[in-house]
Amino acid sequence: MTQPLNTVGMFALADSGALDGTPKPPVASGPVGRPRRWVGRIVPTLVLIAAAVFFLAPLLTLARYALQNVPTIRLGWSTLFDNWSLSGVTKAFDDPQFWPTLTLSLKLAVFAVALTLLLLLPTAIWVHLRLPRLRSIIEFLTLLPYVIPAIALVAGIVAIKPHARWFLNSDYALVPFYAVLALPFTYRLIDAGLRAIDLRTLVDASRSLGAGWGGTIMKVLLPNLRTSVISASFLTAAVVLGEYTIASVILKNTFPTFQRVFVGREPQAGYGLFLLTLVITILLFVVLFFITRPRTSPRKPFVAPTESSAS
Amino acid sequence: MTVTTTDAVIADGGRAAGAAPSVSARPKRNWAWLGLVPFLSFLTLFLIVPAITVFSNSLKTEDNGWSLSAMKEAFTGQNLEAFRFTFTFALGAAFVGLVFGTLIAYAAATTIRPRWLRSVVTAFSGVAANMGGIALAFMFLSLLGKQGVGTKILEWAGYDLYGGDFKLGNVTGLIVVYSYFNIPLMVLAILPAIDGLKQSWREACANLGGTTATYWRRIGIPVLTPSLLGGFLLLFVNSFAAFATASALTDNSKIIALRIGFFLGGDVSIGEDAVGYAIAAWMIIVMGVAMGLYWLVRKRAERWKV
Amino acid sequence: MTTLGFQAVRKTFGPTVALERFDLDVKEGELISLLGPSGCGKTTALRIAAGFEFADSGQVVVGGNDITSTPAHKRNMGMVFQSYSLFPNLTVAQNVEFGLKTRKVDKAESHRRVADMLDLVQLSATANRYPHQLSGGQQQRVALARALAVRPQVLLLDEPLSALDAKVRLTLRDEIRRIQTDLGITTLFVTHDQEEALGISDRVGVMSNGRLEQLDTPTTVYRHPANTFVARFVGSMNEIPARSVDGGAVRVGSSVVTTEHGLGPDTDVKLLVRPEDLRLVAEGDGLAGSVVNRTFQGASTLVWVRLDVVDTLVSVDVAGVGAATIAPGERTSVAIDGSRAMCEPVG
Repeated sequence: MTQPLNTVGMFALADSGALDGTPKPPVASGPVGRPRRWVGRIVPTLVLIAAAVFFLAPLLTLARYALQNVPTIRLGWSTLFDNWSLSGVTKAFDDPQFWPTLTLSLKLAVFAVALTLLLLLPTAIWVHLRLPRLRSIIEFLTLLPYVIPAIALVAGIVAIKPHARWFLNSDYALVPFYAVLALPFTYRLIDAGLRAIDLRTLVDASRSLGAGWGGTIMKVLLPNLRTSVISASFLTAAVVLGEYTIASVILKNTFPTFQRVFVGREPQAGYGLFLLTLVITILLFVVLFFITRPRTSPRKPFVAPTESSAS
Repeated sequence: MTVTTTDAVIADGGRAAGAAPSVSARPKRNWAWLGLVPFLSFLTLFLIVPAITVFSNSLKTEDNGWSLSAMKEAFTGQNLEAFRFTFTFALGAAFVGLVFGTLIAYAAATTIRPRWLRSVVTAFSGVAANMGGIALAFMFLSLLGKQGVGTKILEWAGYDLYGGDFKLGNVTGLIVVYSYFNIPLMVLAILPAIDGLKQSWREACANLGGTTATYWRRIGIPVLTPSLLGGFLLLFVNSFAAFATASALTDNSKIIALRIGFFLGGDVSIGEDAVGYAIAAWMIIVMGVAMGLYWLVRKRAERWKV
Repeated sequence: MTTLGFQAVRKTFGPTVALERFDLDVKEGELISLLGPSGCGKTTALRIAAGFEFADSGQVVVGGNDITSTPAHKRNMGMVFQSYSLFPNLTVAQNVEFGLKTRKVDKAESHRRVADMLDLVQLSATANRYPHQLSGGQQQRVALARALAVRPQVLLLDEPLSALDAKVRLTLRDEIRRIQTDLGITTLFVTHDQEEALGISDRVGVMSNGRLEQLDTPTTVYRHPANTFVARFVGSMNEIPARSVDGGAVRVGSSVVTTEHGLGPDTDVKLLVRPEDLRLVAEGDGLAGSVVNRTFQGASTLVWVRLDVVDTLVSVDVAGVGAATIAPGERTSVAIDGSRAMCEPVG
């Protein structure tokens, strides 16, 4: 989970309208005029079915390797139901490296989330309130982790290492770099959240009612930014728990590097561990999707009542 | 009549300039940039400084002089061959992602029938776009590896996948594997743009005598083009620089990211250090150009949004 | 230029009936407004005329030709949308030229017509700008120019002013009417704004629940609504509880108002009277009441009076500055001119 993760937040939650609470109406499909009923339907349906096969097949075969102890060469109709068991999935728990690496990665995730929020929330709020003209420039800066991808960044880290051994020797040195990797979408999510609320009015109202800056941020802004803060935290954690490039090059024993080593040693149990991680990740993403979905009664912008919306 | 019309132009002319943010020009504003110091120093320390070090290390010689020779070497011979190979599969993967991602996004956006379908496509795209990494490599090894179930099924159907020069670490293989995160990424990138196509444009086009083909040729595709291009560039950047998936999938040193990894891992003789950094530097340059284009294209796409 | 006719058009969307036996004839050069609340079917009628929807039964006829199943792009109609719908990737001039290109009009002619049209909507200076650089009012004028450039047989306007600011709305309304009359183009205009409909049209069709309730000149629709729905929807109405007596009169409290209802005696009714059919008179002459409030409207003033005997709030339109000195709390009397009033049985 190195590079691709960075890109997702740019669209996944920020741009798809999930934050501003206005669900997009489906685009009507047919050509103007009488709908050509089945031709218009069959192509999208075939596309979606093909996509489902492509995206499910690797997951299913991964699951088979994890759960069924039959070599592919002997796989056939007769052996299809032989030797299925869950033992491969749990075997990893007994490995002495499992818990230490998992704990380290979880700690790194917590710290990276904290760093991200502490750094980005005040910065983004400040930019919105006082430096709105710089918004575009800041946004450009947050895209820099694409220009310097993880493998190039880690090259830089290796190059610096002789000069900053005291820092880079610590496992926790990974934290700021992970926050950097997550930056393109964490900033985007928080920025989108701020765009969706009327920041200046909220701040002015809160201040005029006597709240200080701290109170304003904690009691007024954070609750209003709930969705973007949750999404940004979640995606930062996901980066950390999946990041392999930097950790493997500078030889840190994080959970992903353990997974890599473990699958080499115990192939089936390694597949089992991948399967477990994937399932948990997918479940968490589903949870996130429902948490950050626009509420059922979105605040609709005022529009003059027209008939066109009825038909 | 003329007078009132001119009035109207003036009356609503002020709004034409667009929504300029209401910046209250406070006298304190000169110091407002100080609020950016923590963020900018963070970026500098943990992103800019490493990047600059990559460049300086690739320009430095062993006797502490400066030379372009490592940069040159990183772009000649086997290294150039590796760049060629990486460009080829990254462009291919971006193209495949562009085509199928757009098709799927369009299918999802225009299918109204099962209502949950769109949510499922969006949610799954969010997950799958994040699946680049070592797990992905093993998913495809289990499907299309030499001992993969998919390979076995193809063989049973009479097609020998490994009969030619197919390998998961070759151009075709990498394109297939990277499509797993590229396609969903494209779906997420292009869906808002497809949603932005207004039904009334289609109707206006028909009303003015245009057919469906006219609509796509003159409005639909031109309006989508900036988003399509932007998505393409992102997928390219993504595929070009991906390390984790590739490293678990293959040891093909023609993949630039892996090549940098080998240099960093010390698999090379001493003295070639600078060449490793120079390859990373070239990668940064390539990414910089692609992201610069992406930025331009995105600015263009934003203009048409409203 | 030509006529546009709907003949017994019926249209349903699933269980919803959008149009039911809809008949309408727009004469050559005439502007007819379809006016009605949301969901009354007016937009559906327009979209059926444009070919974006197709009637379940009935015919659409343009200049004597049945176009009921002609696809939209083969109908020669100009349409202006509520959301402007300018093509964002084309300049103003290219937008206007769009329909000419699809019709393969030759270059010189096409250039001339684009220039003429931009001149007509007074936007020649913006020819090379993009829609997003224009204000809403300007965009809608470009949309009008684009629709007219193809010299359509019929002009269709779908709430073209709804998205605009009040002031721009008024000037653009007048401009649309001017251009429409200059070109003598047959026009169907859909709106939910009664003031707009009354102000711009030769005839107004008031719709509700997929039916045409009344089709007549703005004056007639306003002064002689065909039924209580039209009466209530167009203009404002006072509703005064009353009881019918013989000979078409009704009794409000103790005073008798002469109307033209055809109901039997002793029915509880609601008397519908426009504010301008009420007068303030000297105390003791009409229905006694006290002034609650007054709303200055420029040319006239609305005085809100609570009538004692029926405990009902009514508004009285007082022309000129006659009401300038009336203060809330003051006692007054209201006289009712029942000649244009309507009666609606209660219960």
